[in-house]
Amino acid sequence: MTYRSGTPANVEALDRPDKVAATLVRLRRMVSWHVIAPPLVFFAILLVVGIANPAYLGPFGISIATTSAAPILLVALGQAMVLNTGSIDLSNAAIALFGAIIFALTIPDAGIVAMIAVLIVLTLIGAVNGAILAYTQVPSFALTLGTLGILQTAALVTSGSETIYVSENRDLVTALHTIKVLSVPLTFWIGVFAAIFFWALLRFTIIGQNMTAVGKNESGAILSAVPNKQAKIIAFAISGFASGLAGLAIVAQAGSASASGLGSNLLLPGIAAALVGGTSISGGQANPINVVFGALTVAFVPIAAQALGFGAQAQSLVYGIFIIVIVALTTSRTRGAVIK
Amino acid sequence: MKPDAPVVLRLTNVSRSFGKIKAVRSVSLEIRKGEVIGLTGENGAGKSTLLKILAGIERPDEGRMEINGKVANFKGPNDALKAGVGVVHQEQSLFTNLTVAENIEHQNIERQGLSRFGIHDWGRINREAQKVLEKIGVDLDSRTRVGDLGFVDRQMVEIARAVSVNPDKSGTPLIILDEPTAVLEQAEVEVLEREIRKLREFASVIFVSHRLDEVLRICDRVVVMRHGELTSDRLTEGVTKDELFRAMVHETPSVAMRSRAAPSKEGQAAIEVRNLTRHGRFDNVSFAVRPGEIVALVGTNGSGRGALARALFGAETFDAGTIEVNGKAVSRWTIAKAVRAGLAYVPAERKVEGMIGGYPGTRNIALVHPEHARVGPFLRPRKMAHIAQQWFNRLGVSPNDIHQPLAQFSGGNQQKVVLAKWLNNPELKVLILDHPLRGLDVGVSQAVNREIRKACDNGTAVVLIPDTIEEALEMADEILVLKDGRVSARHDMRSAGELDVREIVSEMV
Repeated sequence: MTYRSGTPANVEALDRPDKVAATLVRLRRMVSWHVIAPPLVFFAILLVVGIANPAYLGPFGISIATTSAAPILLVALGQAMVLNTGSIDLSNAAIALFGAIIFALTIPDAGIVAMIAVLIVLTLIGAVNGAILAYTQVPSFALTLGTLGILQTAALVTSGSETIYVSENRDLVTALHTIKVLSVPLTFWIGVFAAIFFWALLRFTIIGQNMTAVGKNESGAILSAVPNKQAKIIAFAISGFASGLAGLAIVAQAGSASASGLGSNLLLPGIAAALVGGTSISGGQANPINVVFGALTVAFVPIAAQALGFGAQAQSLVYGIFIIVIVALTTSRTRGAVIK
Repeated sequence: MKPDAPVVLRLTNVSRSFGKIKAVRSVSLEIRKGEVIGLTGENGAGKSTLLKILAGIERPDEGRMEINGKVANFKGPNDALKAGVGVVHQEQSLFTNLTVAENIEHQNIERQGLSRFGIHDWGRINREAQKVLEKIGVDLDSRTRVGDLGFVDRQMVEIARAVSVNPDKSGTPLIILDEPTAVLEQAEVEVLEREIRKLREFASVIFVSHRLDEVLRICDRVVVMRHGELTSDRLTEGVTKDELFRAMVHETPSVAMRSRAAPSKEGQAAIEVRNLTRHGRFDNVSFAVRPGEIVALVGTNGSGRGALARALFGAETFDAGTIEVNGKAVSRWTIAKAVRAGLAYVPAERKVEGMIGGYPGTRNIALVHPEHARVGPFLRPRKMAHIAQQWFNRLGVSPNDIHQPLAQFSGGNQQKVVLAKWLNNPELKVLILDHPLRGLDVGVSQAVNREIRKACDNGTAVVLIPDTIEEALEMADEILVLKDGRVSARHDMRSAGELDVREIVSEMV
């Protein structure tokens, strides 16, 4: 077994009966590259944009960036939790859009009760995804590709292929978008709180520890009596729940929902945000707090491209190159080399 | 075989070392055309390394290898194939989603013009393959998908593939069969024997097997390896099994050397197995392990002891029989239930199954029994660290860093942590150990054995699958010898007087 660069120094420090040194080692471990890379990359882009066009750093710029980042952040958080268990959820954006339509249909009649009930239903849809995965062992990529199609049809049918406007109780839901704290809309704050919650879940609970263990090494986890089916079902349920919040964010922002409108293009930005946030696509590595920076970066790249004067035609090109470079920068390469 | 037949393979003082371990020491061997040679020896005797040298996978450090009179200097498996050495592996290496013909001919396609500009000439490929099948007398349609064939038929395809690469017509192919019978039923073994008799008409064969009966029946000559050396090379006629055992096993007879006060045979068994059967793996196995007792399961690789251990732990199913834990028969046995009942399992595949390499010691230890460091659904990080630190200190894990990912530790230190995660349970009733000392050096081995004994003294029942028979003699209160999934012998070490390794080996093969 080879030790990586840096490790012998850590060992040396630990051998000294010196508590300060030990604390330093722990600090250095916490501040490892894959932990600080996502925020670093975000602030670097922010700096570049700020130099090119200082207007973007004002309250208005922040408001635009976080508004467009909010639904991406919410689906990315669910995606990160699923990726962490070694699976992938291709249906999360479809759940979000289907959810948005159901929200728009039910909120006029039932208000807050509708919000809660729909969130529960969407969480259950996620859980069903997880249960099918756990018990039939259909690969998550194929399974969720299937549920993606089913949910798209469900979205079309329930909306009658039309845009559903929230006719009553409109202020109730748009308040999530219009109320801003520090120029940042509530929808984004919901994402931040969810990120902190999921981070704590992974770090401090048995369920979180089990989910990460399944993602790092499933057969090892099974032989350690880790309930691997439960871990997967919970991860997918979380993805359903987070997608539901994303659906709410969509309705809040647009005041309406349709199968082809705002939020119909969330799947890939969601995955990109999870990856830019340092989530490992092969499982076992996720930091929801960094996904916040991942989502901000992904939402900010088009704005940055515009600020730097790239033409409209070149935007997709710039976006694509940025994502590749950023993921290359933020991916943690320390794992995998040894384990898989 | 005529005594003046041409020499197909001549090895002169071939050696191969891995670090300090000499896997093959100065082996010299001659095989003539039409000969069938049996190669046998204990696990780790150097057979597989010798085969790898012949197959071009490993290169010898010293010595000379001649095939069909030409010096063979293989740079890779392809060179060996071209020289006419075909290996039929124990784990089959066919493409199951391709046809028989493609499997037989895929290595010839480029060389023999069976493909033009990347487009395969299917007619010719099928014809060539069919010719090979006829040559070895196998009745198979070359257009069948290999995945649709039974096990023996697949083995025939492997043989056909090995035979198909015969470079010049004058050379004799050398076919190596690596434990071909390990997974076959009796009727299938007979098919294989007939096939070998056909092969000898135009090829030479090396038949590797643990089963001495078969070796004596099928082969003209038997070659025995021990600790990397050839210890016997004799014509089959007139050789007795006992002579072969003596060549396989070290001369000094090991006597039971238990160093622990033997626990009594009385009282409730912690785990008792009655007529446990899984078709094709183990058959009608019964035994009981009482608190403080160590029962060792001894046998060759195909003896079914690994599957048996996994079945005890709920990691694999069984077809018939019962498992009783603390006197209660279990039903719908799962790993979760086994762990709740106080069972623990240290698997042979440490890195893949034994641990989560990306997790540090703290989390690995807390994974199985989080109840020692929890408040409701929450973990208590300080308590986790405290527990892990205690185990790291007690077992002398180095480096003594409970926060470092386990993948970065050496194998021995990983095994200490794997052991710790199971021992971290005051309610531990049964400890199942599959090759616990695999790959460990002497110092760590002693530390691991010390912990196993300590667990026994605290009333844990131990089921041990040892690497070597010596390990079983050193540790066990009772030795169960398994052969082809059945218990072929039992030795109670408390009453047994002298028991040597040779006797046990004779019961294994």
